[in-house]
Amino acid sequence: MKNMKLQYVFVLFILVVIAQLLVPAQMIFGQETVLNKGTAYKFKTQPVDPSDPYRGKYVTLSYDIRSFITSDTIWERKQDIYVYFENDSLGFAKLTEVSKIPLVTAKDFVKTKVDWFNKYDKSVKFNLPFDRFYMEESKAKPAEDAFRIAQRDNLPNNTYALVYVKEGEAVLKDLFINEVSIKDYVTINKNEE
Amino acid sequence: MNSKLIKELPELVENDIISQDIASKIERYYQSKTNNTPNRLFTVFGVLGSILVGLGIMLILAHNWDDFSKSIKTIFAFAPLVIGQLLVGFSILNKKSKTWKEASGVFLFFTVGASIAMVSQIYNIPGDFTNYMLVWILLCAPLIYLLKSHALAILHLVYATIYACNYGYADGTKAPWLFLVLILLLIPYYVSLLQSKPKANITSVFNWLLPISLIITLGAFITKFDELIFLSYIILFGLFYNLGKLPVFNNLKLRQNGYLVLGSFGTVVLLLISSFRIVWEEVLTISSFSGNETTLVTVLFVISLGVLVYLFLKKEVNKLNMFHYIFIIMTILFFVGLKNDVSPTIITNILLLILGINAIKIGADKMHFGVLNYGLVIITGLIFCRFFDTDMSFVIRGLLFVFVGIGFFATNYIMFRKQKNKNTSIKSLDAIEIKEEDIKTLK
Repeated sequence: MKNMKLQYVFVLFILVVIAQLLVPAQMIFGQETVLNKGTAYKFKTQPVDPSDPYRGKYVTLSYDIRSFITSDTIWERKQDIYVYFENDSLGFAKLTEVSKIPLVTAKDFVKTKVDWFNKYDKSVKFNLPFDRFYMEESKAKPAEDAFRIAQRDNLPNNTYALVYVKEGEAVLKDLFINEVSIKDYVTINKNEE
Repeated sequence: MNSKLIKELPELVENDIISQDIASKIERYYQSKTNNTPNRLFTVFGVLGSILVGLGIMLILAHNWDDFSKSIKTIFAFAPLVIGQLLVGFSILNKKSKTWKEASGVFLFFTVGASIAMVSQIYNIPGDFTNYMLVWILLCAPLIYLLKSHALAILHLVYATIYACNYGYADGTKAPWLFLVLILLLIPYYVSLLQSKPKANITSVFNWLLPISLIITLGAFITKFDELIFLSYIILFGLFYNLGKLPVFNNLKLRQNGYLVLGSFGTVVLLLISSFRIVWEEVLTISSFSGNETTLVTVLFVISLGVLVYLFLKKEVNKLNMFHYIFIIMTILFFVGLKNDVSPTIITNILLLILGINAIKIGADKMHFGVLNYGLVIITGLIFCRFFDTDMSFVIRGLLFVFVGIGFFATNYIMFRKQKNKNTSIKSLDAIEIKEEDIKTLK
């Protein structure tokens, strides 16, 4: 009888173990699918540097794509918004339209939340959902500084995020300054100093 | 304390109070008792160690080692989790001690959080913090029951509260309804604790943590009609007070009965706040309310009323104790307050005075200095609050303070004398009995 109970407890425990393993595994699977099969886009961006108690340091990215002028004037805070975009001639992502419901179109999109609606210039504001880039803790702050310096020079389009998008799912792969990955850029700058 | 008793035994035998036989029986009883109780201190340190190691692993992973390849980082994400699972599996299969189960369970709890966090880092998943917490808590909830772990139950409650605050207060537009599900998941565990060991320390911990958690989170449920926050808290404290009077809690010591203490104290604080007219002026501005909040307040009220009716049926209500009914009176006052702000203000002040006197009387009847002085503090608080908004002359205010101060001295002194008299009379009774016994033995 006692043994039966132990078996019962153990079987339940195994189910819990499987669930605990499945959640991170499923996250990995979803992200890998987007990275392998999704389309790559470059989003022009600027970083700032906060941190998260459990997941460590990251840079928050503020994208150039963050508002859209629309004739629709009824937008509520935190409402779902579908943002559609395509690649422009220079290879950067360009916003084409926004919608409250998914549209029937071949264009790629991401789903995010409305930040607020500006009544005066009739633009709806939002943040793209892939706005966090995790970095080694010693590099997050230098990365932010490096970005600011790179923004100041006269070269156009020199800071961007490489994002893979597939069926509304987006994965932020890397961050670039002047075509150099941010991790390497920070290391190079450190060595030069 | 037991060792003290054992040390006293030879002296008792020497003076022929007890026989040698009984002395050795007592000694054996206490020794067997100490052998049976698991080493609690060891468990506590085991759990603390696990918490520290678990949090340490989370911090180390949060460093974001970007020199490692993605696959190595993925292994890092899973390794602690699998180790934690193996440890817990080992302690279940080998029926290890309580210490093992508690410590390994707590370790697994943190590694689950660490692995999800690590995957989020690897793929830069922005992930809502609250969603992350919810998944984490839910994945570990079954472990509470499988391991019968107190530490995991406490972690569950604490993290659920953090979740509710982050979800409800940070945003302000959404109520954390899933928090209620998380609490419901814990209830069977709590009820079984109440049934199996109502007086244990761990049960008292929950008697405090559970109401505290609900007090912290209740405000997060009121998102649209802030005016209802006041009413909902009054009812919640009324519910706690009446719960605290249920036989299962009322037989406990005051420090073990969080419901009673928090319910009573919360009620008094809220009444003190609402003894200012400005609160009722705000209530007067309410034009309408509806939706989830109203349902929540109604449900709370019905539950509180249910508990009160149950107490009545069980004859556990001291009919003169106002604390039982305050939530009903205040709810009625709230609706009166929608039309008129003067009478509720006056009635609240009178209520506070009655509550103060009530507490003083309970304290005097039960010979409890704490309750007696609690009543005096309520009255002092009331007088103090009225100093802000009435135009009494300084002389009258001064005199009032002097009177209350003398009241403190007088009541405490009278009670002290009463208690002393009682003690001496008991002692003299004992002395008489002993003398009688002496006479008998002499005869």
